[in-house]
Amino acid sequence: MTRKSMLYKLVVLVVLLAALAGCSQAPAATKAPAPAKATEAPAKATEAPAKATEAPKKEEKEPVTLTVWSWRTEDEQAYNEIFDVYEAAHPGVTVEFVTFVNTDYNNILATGLTGEGGPDIAQLRAYGGLQPLTEAGQLVALDGKVETLANFTPGLLKGATGIKDGHVYGVPFGIQAVAAYYNKGIFDKLGLSEPKTWDEFINVLETLKKEGYIPLAAPAKDTWMLPIIHDAVGAPRYGGPEFEKKVLAGETDFMDPNYIASIQLVKDLQPYMADDVVGVGYQDSRTLFITERAAIFIGGSFEVGFWRDQAGDLDLDVFRVPPAPDSVLDSPLTPGWMDGSYGVNAQSDAQEEAIELVTWMGTPEFGQMFTEKIKQLSPLADTKPVDPLLQKFAKFYAETPTSYLHLVNFRYGDPSGSTLLGNGIQKMLLGDMTAEEVAKSVQDGVSQWFKPGQ
Amino acid sequence: MTASDLTKKAHKTRPRKKVQGVGSGAPAWGMIALFILPAFLLYSVFMVWPLFQSLYFSFFEFKGLVRGGFVGLRNFQELLTRYPLNEQLPKAFLHNVYFFIGTMLIQNSLGLLFARLLYVSRFGKRFLQSLYTMPYLISALVVGYLWSLMLNPLFGPINQVLKAVGLGAWARPWLGDPATALPVIILVNAWQWVGFPMLLFSAGLANIGEDLREAARIDGATSWKLFRHIEAPLLLPVIGIVTVLTFIGNFNAFGIVWAMGGVNGEPAGSTDVLGLVFYRTAFRGGIDAFGLASALAVLMFIFIFGVSMLMLGRFRRWEEDLQ
Repeated sequence: MTRKSMLYKLVVLVVLLAALAGCSQAPAATKAPAPAKATEAPAKATEAPAKATEAPKKEEKEPVTLTVWSWRTEDEQAYNEIFDVYEAAHPGVTVEFVTFVNTDYNNILATGLTGEGGPDIAQLRAYGGLQPLTEAGQLVALDGKVETLANFTPGLLKGATGIKDGHVYGVPFGIQAVAAYYNKGIFDKLGLSEPKTWDEFINVLETLKKEGYIPLAAPAKDTWMLPIIHDAVGAPRYGGPEFEKKVLAGETDFMDPNYIASIQLVKDLQPYMADDVVGVGYQDSRTLFITERAAIFIGGSFEVGFWRDQAGDLDLDVFRVPPAPDSVLDSPLTPGWMDGSYGVNAQSDAQEEAIELVTWMGTPEFGQMFTEKIKQLSPLADTKPVDPLLQKFAKFYAETPTSYLHLVNFRYGDPSGSTLLGNGIQKMLLGDMTAEEVAKSVQDGVSQWFKPGQ
Repeated sequence: MTASDLTKKAHKTRPRKKVQGVGSGAPAWGMIALFILPAFLLYSVFMVWPLFQSLYFSFFEFKGLVRGGFVGLRNFQELLTRYPLNEQLPKAFLHNVYFFIGTMLIQNSLGLLFARLLYVSRFGKRFLQSLYTMPYLISALVVGYLWSLMLNPLFGPINQVLKAVGLGAWARPWLGDPATALPVIILVNAWQWVGFPMLLFSAGLANIGEDLREAARIDGATSWKLFRHIEAPLLLPVIGIVTVLTFIGNFNAFGIVWAMGGVNGEPAGSTDVLGLVFYRTAFRGGIDAFGLASALAVLMFIFIFGVSMLMLGRFRRWEEDLQ
């Protein structure tokens, strides 16, 4: 072997090793358990404040900075205004609101709560999304420490409760509900009104289609929206709250014929969605609605802020989808859920001040500011939304509530009901699965971890 | 003397050039080690150590980020039996295989073709080389995002152009149709990376002495014969490197597929690849996610490493056969 060819081979080996190190696109998750690397968030370490002395007079409090983490990048300015009010009433306390992209938030938070540099207070996902944090002992149990928890109904607190130990870990901040937004301008132009029966609903869709509009702006590319649409049109068909009670008790499951029929409804509505709806993404569908190419958008109350920001001059209103024929319940339903809560990091240096802040977040004062500035529904009973669309949602949810079934009950294990249903409906819209096969997929997947009667 | 005789002769009598700055005789292992050390350290700390950590973690149960008790091979068993993972994993693996085959056929063949054409071209060689290599300097996420904007069935320019020139029948939801989504992603990935094999092949072609080519041409070899009998065999080491790197890159593919097909490998799992399955298992999974994901990472590593070593061995034997 010549010297040159040996050197050549060595260079080849080095290039390969460097390429393995550099070119390999293995997801960075292999390093994830090492918190130091994974936390790319601008984790502002809380200044270590000296605890307020227990001296009887309690005049000299060390200044405290509380860091609050959230996934709502859209709400940063609104929260800063809200926390200004708190800071004015609590001199010496500064609240820093830090946001992260919604899709990465869960991981960033889980990592941040593990080591140093985490928040004092964190916005927490509800129901199943909360459990990894509570089971790892990363949050402070708030029952007994936060008296404003009494302002919330047990149903709402369920979303902030760890199912293994039954403790409440967060103060709920918002609720969301689902209904059908519609473009009132287009409706008026075509002489249409809010449908009160399923036949009227189909008539409205037919008229819109004939006039060249896309009747329903539905996204089938982003599967997470599909269970929302399913519950909005199908909840009365499968029996809403009654079905929920039976499934949780083990008296029925997802192979119930009424449930299968409710899934079929989404397929029945496919002719009124965009062509090749499986290629239409979530942002595309919102664009279709605000550019008035589509007239109806079935979605959540979390869209209100976006509609007002992007298309403030559109005349919008919202209606509940009427029950389909053969429905178990003969009135429309409004699926909803507790969106999230604010909890306290078990490793926070300023636990006392943090608990004080989250207590304040359970007051009507915070709730009213929340609904006015962030334009979402507050779970506190005394708050009055200002936006007319939100007022409608609040009215609907108060009159005809039901749980958004899979988010509330079936995200406690893996695979989650929402994921299975969303993927299944997407395949159904492609023609690859029937409604019954979708239901079977949900049942098979969920039954791997779900034990009725819990 | 035929062209192939010349090839054999060239291998045996390549002139010995003194390696500059090294002095006579043995290679300076100390110097070589010094140059390799920084990359080796970085590599060990950020790639090797986490790999061993993953192997370790894969035998434990996880609650969120907190490690639980030792569970032996249960995570591996769960990977292969839990619904719907047990269906998604083989499907994703198959898609990776398609990805590799498609990329070899399109990206690397075109890379070789471009390298060959550029080698003999007179004008714009440097410029064209730069142009072809620019795409892979852009992040895969940006490339994927831009192309998915262009391919958007409602607002994207590609369909609009097709309709404008009367080919409206060809306008389809490229990324929304399970039949076309993966081929389109393979094409976009090939578009991005074609410059890389092209550069390697260009270097390999330049390495072949011009006198060999002249001798072959004097013997009356056509361009094709020249390529097939002289250049291709001498390019075998480069072809080997390109194949192995493509294999590693394609089976680790994540960024471009995630940007164009979303985390679930939309539509309907037709663009699902092992990287996406891993991401979903680790970050969208349940409470025991990290144990499962570590197990998947270990399996992926064993497969990719094993097959790469086999490939390298095979290519080495081919090269020796040629000599």
